[in-house]
Amino acid sequence: MGRFMLLRLRHGLVVVLGVTVVVFVVTRMIGDPVSLMLPMEATPEQRAAFEHQLGFDRPIPVQFASFMADLVTLDFGNSLWQRRPAMDIVYETLPLTLYLVGVALGLAVLVAVPLGVIAALRPGSIVDRLTVFLSLLGLSIPQFWLGLLLIMLFAVSLGWFDHAGNFRADSIVLPAVTLALPALTRLVMVVRSQMIDELNAQYVKTSRAKGMPFLRIVGLHAMRNAAVPVLTLIAWEFIRALAGYTVVVEKVFAWPGLGLAAIQAIERQDLILLQAIVFTVAVMVVAINLAVDVAYKAIDPRIKLD
Amino acid sequence: MVMGLLTLGRTAAGVVLALALAGPALATEITIAIGSEPTTLDPQARDDGGERAVNDNIFETLMARTADGTLVPGLAAAEPKQIDDTTWEFTLREGITFHNGEPFDSAAVVHSVNRIIDPAFNSEQSSFFASITGAEAVDPLTVRILTQGPDPILPSRMYWMKMVPPAYSQTEEFASAPVGTGPYVFDSWQRGSALTLKANPGYWGTPPSIDAVNYRFVGEAGTRLAGLLSGQYDLITNLQPEFVDQVPKAAHVAGLELPVVILSAISGPTQDVRVRQALNYAVDKEVLAERLYEGYAQVSRGQLLAPTYFGYNPDVEGYPYDPDKARALLEEAGAVGAEIELIGTAGRWLNDRDLVEVIASFWQEVGLQPSVRIFEFNEYLNRLFDRQIRADAIFVVSSNELLDADRPFSAYYHMDGVGASNHDAEMAALIEQARTETDVAAREALYHRIVEHSFEQAYFLWLLNIEDIYGMSERLEWTPRVDAKLLVSEMSVSE
Repeated sequence: MGRFMLLRLRHGLVVVLGVTVVVFVVTRMIGDPVSLMLPMEATPEQRAAFEHQLGFDRPIPVQFASFMADLVTLDFGNSLWQRRPAMDIVYETLPLTLYLVGVALGLAVLVAVPLGVIAALRPGSIVDRLTVFLSLLGLSIPQFWLGLLLIMLFAVSLGWFDHAGNFRADSIVLPAVTLALPALTRLVMVVRSQMIDELNAQYVKTSRAKGMPFLRIVGLHAMRNAAVPVLTLIAWEFIRALAGYTVVVEKVFAWPGLGLAAIQAIERQDLILLQAIVFTVAVMVVAINLAVDVAYKAIDPRIKLD
Repeated sequence: MVMGLLTLGRTAAGVVLALALAGPALATEITIAIGSEPTTLDPQARDDGGERAVNDNIFETLMARTADGTLVPGLAAAEPKQIDDTTWEFTLREGITFHNGEPFDSAAVVHSVNRIIDPAFNSEQSSFFASITGAEAVDPLTVRILTQGPDPILPSRMYWMKMVPPAYSQTEEFASAPVGTGPYVFDSWQRGSALTLKANPGYWGTPPSIDAVNYRFVGEAGTRLAGLLSGQYDLITNLQPEFVDQVPKAAHVAGLELPVVILSAISGPTQDVRVRQALNYAVDKEVLAERLYEGYAQVSRGQLLAPTYFGYNPDVEGYPYDPDKARALLEEAGAVGAEIELIGTAGRWLNDRDLVEVIASFWQEVGLQPSVRIFEFNEYLNRLFDRQIRADAIFVVSSNELLDADRPFSAYYHMDGVGASNHDAEMAALIEQARTETDVAAREALYHRIVEHSFEQAYFLWLLNIEDIYGMSERLEWTPRVDAKLLVSEMSVSE
């Protein structure tokens, strides 16, 4: 176990470093934050002076060396956009994103697991077919569009929930539902197919034959066996949300989290902030993967971690 | 017990109701949704629309503008006097203080000027003030601003330079809790979510009628619209033309953005003036205004200036839509079937891509072969600013905050400008002459000449003046301004 953790941590470090280096090189190659920051009519001399002030006129290797030296202390420098430490912005926005993703995934799991299990109990029944149909529907709706539809219906027409931002306790509802839906539909499908497989397994028939209550079989044996792939998917959904979907949802709902900061950093070519965000997301992805590996072991003692 | 609680509840409700009925009129408070959050609240550091939207209410400038763009004294007591070629003298209003009690006097002006032009401060606005070399106080209410050469635009420049308190602006808190002289006082700022201002009870001018203003930062146009429709916002910016019918109230005004296509007089088929004129005749600008902007745009009159800008030449009519004339000119120039490269970008300005594509189809109609190339913004800028190779036609949107011809002409008309595509030394000399001509009438005449000359030469395909559209709640009363400032002191609420 200990050796395994050490190995995975080492892998994780390589991943994070690799991502950081790639982002550094790519943003330096395609980006020119200076022309975006100054008014269009600024003269070439004014641009050059500004570039010098920011240190972007230094050779790339020199910039890289000072970047890596600062990385050790998690100092990415000042965001070009907000002119304050980039990590401060990450520390402010990350909790809001984790809150949003947490609520959304919690919602997805709470709805998807019972729904998937019920659908699996009677494959081909009305409930099952309805579940499959709704899942496909949910998967096919683009999130930004779904978000706007939810706003129009529940915030504008019905006035039940706050439509955007983070000012009221109910502000979380619509963005969380929007973020949850695709994850929920994918989860339902996996829970359903896993449970169908398990319920058709030989041990279920044996248990039923020896007179074990059906609900106990479902709850104790089948669900536990189906849990490993489902857990993998939940972790994967978490990563997907964190590293991508939140960008769309946070933009539509003006939710001031990491995703919104990321898209604004890109729009403004804020290389520094972008680096800090990508680094943070990479660290989180590695951490989640590690946590999931450990959780496997807890669920299924047959899995060996080394 | 239960009865007791009920009674208590009823009494409490009664008290609340009585208070609501008997108390003074409730404080009026409005909420404005803007597209982007201020990056800082230091009014001198950034070139940032979100920052301006808020700080225009907290800070003031020596010169101000009326809603229709006329330059009038602001913190200055009167129009400035020109002492000599390089010195402008301002007299200040008496008795004005910053919100923290620091006096607004000549020392404050000197500090504000020196702060923003200091190279070490690295202001993104420095290109607005490149001609200024310093300032000096004559007495507490008289201040002189010094320029490199004669600078007739200085009064307009001072409309752009916000005055900051000398002591407090040197602290770090200034950027997050600003202090100015304006009708509104900073109240609170939760990064990412909300910003609140309160009316300044000691304001030197007309006291504002709205007591508090909340700002929300909503990048997505559809979400801003939803917030207005659900009654949470009183004012939203950049309403898309297609949604005007859906909002409770909408207001529009000629904006600061002028889209134009720079035609290369240096290389390619557009070298021939007849081709450039043909490209102008070929495009039906009325159709662009009607179809792409639902009528919320005015056809440009052959110049990179709106009618309210200094230097606008009312005698130039613009090229009418005349495809037959375009064909004849192309025939004459031997350019029928010529390939023309048209460069644009996508997503930077309202309808930028559509505009470029419709222009290309108009050109195709008259027998040219336009090739449209849409680039990511940075790559697009590389081509716009490339001084060696000039593409045949480059789409750009010019934004003119100073409402004066010098800035757009220096950038796009002057042969050494960042985005110019001509070698017209004669016109460049006129632009330079106008830049330092201190006689207002003579300066205006120079611009009229430049406009006329460039119009004949058809250095550009002039398109439109796009209007700014605002969505408003039923209760908000406001007339938008030509300089696009959101001055809450000019707004009121009808209950």
